[in-house]
Amino acid sequence: MTSIGTGYDLSASTYSPDGRIFQVEYANKAVENSGTAIGLRVKDGVVLAVEKLVHSKLLVPGVNRRIQTVDRHIGLATAGLLADGRHLANRARDEAASFRDQYRQPPPLKQIADRLGLYVQAYTLYSSVRPFGISTILGAVDKTGPALYVVEPSGVFHGYHGAAVGKGRQLAKTELEKLKLSELTTREAVKEAARIIYLVHEDAKEKEFELEMSWVGDETNGIHLPVPKDLQTAAEQAAKAALETFE
Amino acid sequence: MFRNTYDSDNTVFSPQGRLHQVEYALEAVKQGSAAVGLRSKTHSVLLALKRSTGELASYQQKMFRIDDHVGIAIAGLTSDARVLSNFMRQQAMSSKMVFNRPVPVNRLVSAIADKAQVNTQEYGRRPYGVGFLVIGQDTTGPHLYEFSPSGNSYEYYAMSIGARSQSAKTYLEKHYQSFEDASVEDLIRHGLHALRETLQQDKELTTNNTSIGLVGPASVHEKAVPPTGSFRILEGEAIQPFLDSMIAKEGPAAAQAGVPPATAATTVQPAEAAAGAAGDEDVQMTG
Repeated sequence: MTSIGTGYDLSASTYSPDGRIFQVEYANKAVENSGTAIGLRVKDGVVLAVEKLVHSKLLVPGVNRRIQTVDRHIGLATAGLLADGRHLANRARDEAASFRDQYRQPPPLKQIADRLGLYVQAYTLYSSVRPFGISTILGAVDKTGPALYVVEPSGVFHGYHGAAVGKGRQLAKTELEKLKLSELTTREAVKEAARIIYLVHEDAKEKEFELEMSWVGDETNGIHLPVPKDLQTAAEQAAKAALETFE
Repeated sequence: MFRNTYDSDNTVFSPQGRLHQVEYALEAVKQGSAAVGLRSKTHSVLLALKRSTGELASYQQKMFRIDDHVGIAIAGLTSDARVLSNFMRQQAMSSKMVFNRPVPVNRLVSAIADKAQVNTQEYGRRPYGVGFLVIGQDTTGPHLYEFSPSGNSYEYYAMSIGARSQSAKTYLEKHYQSFEDASVEDLIRHGLHALRETLQQDKELTTNNTSIGLVGPASVHEKAVPPTGSFRILEGEAIQPFLDSMIAKEGPAAAQAGVPPATAATTVQPAEAAAGAAGDEDVQMTG
């Protein structure tokens, strides 16, 4: 990068002569080094899936989760610095609780994404803080139906049918584009999500990984929950089989 | 003077998206003497190597009780550990007051992890320079967690932190599958074997330099443990029976017990000896 050594990249409160904020771009690099996370918005709900890279075989499988619950109907998956993800999830819970307090109803996901966008953007303004080193996928079913948003380190957020962040996002996006997302059911989407995570995982480069999945929709009565064990194992088996025919 | 341009404060990402100040804080943990933790279906145990500044000095405390059901072992800056353990005690007490039940171990670890995360994002503070191994029991059974200055926390079957902890980790990775169903005596013996791997060549584990902490029902060598099996720290003469249970490293007995061959231990030593020697200089803040 041409920026290195020019001194314009040492603070979030400094523009480079061509109008870039390098600290935010470097925060995006932290996201790119992390395991992939994807989200699928389908006919009757939303499915979230992450590729959790296992750095030690001494870790207890199934705990140490990277998908979190923000409100009864809202799930949140992050890619990037794990601890930043927990920080933002706590903020999201506060926002959701405060919305319920004021309006006495479950918060629409757009409201939460909007508030989180503002919060993340504030960390790109000052030299006294660093930007968040995470991209966040938010998924929910609210009064408008299934919803899926991604909040980036810059604070911008977009709505999506299918979203992918982290190391394998390019390949994951190509795979998502092949699907007819608005016609799938959540049950089918779980299988597709598992297949995509298995596909983007680079066996040669990376150590082992664990697939973590959650869903919200008609199947769960509108509550964000981990995908049940039997469905998860079935999806993983199908993913492994699909991978063999793919190669 | 600096190792690179991007390491002078913790609010700066490097072009690769790394936080060098946080990585250096993780190095501070490696300056402290080693601590080892293991978990079975019924027990969680901690073992730690204590340092002293000289023959006339006492040994630096390595373990702290947080609540009846939770205890920690530390590696790194002891003063930082005392601040964080005070915070954990307050959280534990407030959980008792508000919810009338002991705080789940996971909550406690996440609380200090979230606290540590703030110090990696805001100017004018430094990340904590200490790592914890946290053991405890709650409604979901016994647990072992690692907390580190990056604000991350993980649950493990077994883990080690501190100086030369990689050698202990190698031992644990070889044996962890037997821990789940092990008796508390076997668990502690494995822990002592792992801790032994972190010692310098001429040193050995003694009643003076070793601490054992555990939760779960009483072991055969303990007396007067409440039936709840709350957290206790064993030191001095109380740990002699456990030290006696260890299997010597050399000789035919070692081979039988599946202790890693001597070559594995010695190949690690030369590389780490230099770093270890520096770590053993009496840095007063490190424990």
